[in-house]
Amino acid sequence: MPEDQELSEEERENLLAYLDGEADEETARGIEARLSLEPRVRAEAEALQRTWELLDYLPRPDASPSFTHRTLDRVSVLRPATGPARWRSLRNPAWRRLAAAAAILITALAGYGVTAALTRSQPVLPAENAAELEHQLVRDLRLLENRRLYEAVDNIEFLHALDAPHLFGDDSTN
Amino acid sequence: MALPGETSGPLALRDPDVRLMLRVQNDVPGAFEELVELYQHRLVAILHHVVGNAEEAEDLAQEVFLRVYRARKNYRPECRFSTWLFTIANNLALNSLRSRQRKPVVPFSGSDSGPLGPRPAEQLVADRGEPPGQRLQQEELAAVIRRALDGLNERQRLAVMLNKFEDMNYAEIGQVMGLTTKAIKSLLNRARANLRAALQPYIYMDGEPVPQVDKEE
Repeated sequence: MPEDQELSEEERENLLAYLDGEADEETARGIEARLSLEPRVRAEAEALQRTWELLDYLPRPDASPSFTHRTLDRVSVLRPATGPARWRSLRNPAWRRLAAAAAILITALAGYGVTAALTRSQPVLPAENAAELEHQLVRDLRLLENRRLYEAVDNIEFLHALDAPHLFGDDSTN
Repeated sequence: MALPGETSGPLALRDPDVRLMLRVQNDVPGAFEELVELYQHRLVAILHHVVGNAEEAEDLAQEVFLRVYRARKNYRPECRFSTWLFTIANNLALNSLRSRQRKPVVPFSGSDSGPLGPRPAEQLVADRGEPPGQRLQQEELAAVIRRALDGLNERQRLAVMLNKFEDMNYAEIGQVMGLTTKAIKSLLNRARANLRAALQPYIYMDGEPVPQVDKEE
């Protein structure tokens, strides 16, 4: 019959590791053998277990009710684009949906406004009329560029009379 | 630090709290708040028993979360998230204790409520709803256990808390505290031997007979 001996420091460590499920296989087998044969080892194991279970009576203080709020407020200082009020509002899913809907609406209105402005300045013509108009504009370009001058002239004869470089100089560069 | 036989990446990604932290890293709205709510009570409880003061425990817990937030972009999941979190908590707690040259903690009385809410013993009483005599007995027992815990040094106390209430194994505790597994084994052995000696009169309070340790014939 094996002698029931005091446990050495190393043996106590191994016993505790065994109780904690941390002993390797060989150590565990040795401990189990001693537990089955030695009352002192069994008593020690039981005392350690019961001491451990007493810790369940230790109060576990919870964080205060405002802890999360205060922590998030401190964190919000680290987020330069947001402040506490905006952080709180953006956290709300309803606010986020509303903000997304507003963004879509604003974008749509802006797009409509730009499109409307462009179409007002450029009336849309049928394709064949557009080509004819362009041809006329090219042909009458000089006339259009000098329209203000021509409005001051009553008839073509007077206009030709004005074309006298020896009297009025050459304004072809004008 | 990976557990033996496992790579750290896949192991860490199996941890739902690691995945939550990765959402914090990506600034997913609400993720950080979820993390705070998930860990606030555990963190405050552990820190309370290490530093011995409820308000300081909350200040330290807030600081832990701030550091987590600041470090989020550099976070790499190499272990369980709780291991990383409590590593930060351990560093802050030990720094705090060193900076104020902590004296032995006055045993917690549970009789005064502060601005942070009811003290733990009051919560214990409120939660259990038992007859006054039994409540008093439990309060006294809680005070005795608290005193026994105060008899440990800070490292022993933290190792016990992490082992008991965070269910951490020796390797994880070692990672949190910057010690080898062997050192943690030795640390816990001394801590629990001290607790056993301090609580010896109470471990058979339930009326079960004390085991006999006479030699077998």
